[in-house]
Amino acid sequence: MTTEVFITAVGRDRPGVIAGLTGALAGLDANLEDTSMTTLGGRFAMVLVVAVPEGTSTDVVAAALAEPAAALHVDVSVHPADPSDAADDERGERWTVSIHGADHPGIVHGVTQGLSELGANVVDMRTRVVGPPDRQVYAMTLEVSVPATTSAETLTARLDEVAAALGVECSLHPVDTDIL
Amino acid sequence: MLPDPVLARPAAPVGPIDDEARALAQDLIDTMRASSHSVGIAAPQIGVPLRAFALDITGHRKASSCHGELVLFDPEIVRAEGRDVGREGCMSVPDLTGDVARATLLVVRGTDPDGGELVLECDAFEARAVQHELDHLDGHLFLDRVVAADRVFPRRAYR
Repeated sequence: MTTEVFITAVGRDRPGVIAGLTGALAGLDANLEDTSMTTLGGRFAMVLVVAVPEGTSTDVVAAALAEPAAALHVDVSVHPADPSDAADDERGERWTVSIHGADHPGIVHGVTQGLSELGANVVDMRTRVVGPPDRQVYAMTLEVSVPATTSAETLTARLDEVAAALGVECSLHPVDTDIL
Repeated sequence: MLPDPVLARPAAPVGPIDDEARALAQDLIDTMRASSHSVGIAAPQIGVPLRAFALDITGHRKASSCHGELVLFDPEIVRAEGRDVGREGCMSVPDLTGDVARATLLVVRGTDPDGGELVLECDAFEARAVQHELDHLDGHLFLDRVVAADRVFPRRAYR
């Protein structure tokens, strides 16, 4: 029997970080399930859902990772994962939302607040700030699960309104999957 | 669940069309019809490591060119142009979808179940579907073609 934990790691980006941390996890008989890693502002950021043998505490996992993490200059945290937290978004319709414009505080909050008021759930988000310091551009892409109770017209109108208030451009389209 | 190893290996040429090949053609059509979700099927997906596929995109909302129901043996790409990204799923990988770039204009030549040469010029959705099936004949899944690491998505359509 296994139990799941969440592991987060943030810090210096260089070759060998994932290999170093996952090596320590293999030593615990841990099995990596869903994971996500990217570089943010050139820095390493990773989240893992890991199955460990039942009875392995988060402290034991953290202890196994402590030395490699320090050597690799990453900060690691281990959290218990509650299976009942897993949501079921599969009944919602998927939309891709793209936002871009001059960067300023409040864009992510404004857009995601507007979405949550419609019962829409963000299932993936990526934002990047690019450009010279005096003219930074904010680019955001979201994948959103929209309940059937929210029409395409309502979604579009709300996002257009939010985008206008924030001074950014917004485009969205339903995600269309073909089984081939 | 593992995609079956037969899906990871290039399939063998069929060669001259005989009764066995014609039976395979019928098998592909029957399997395609039995599954309401897909518009095509390649022989490796039914465990047959031969270069053959069936397709029928008739009535699909994204159809531009449409050759109707067809079976093609030993297909080869004569011409491929253009590029478009779309999200694909596959009966052999039921729990994932991914964003894949495909040519938007495709000319494919092969043999039909009567043993005659068949040249298909297709575009848009039909071109995408043909390329997806051709990939199966080369031992590729759409997972091998996704445009970026973050463009693979879980799909729990059958739960």
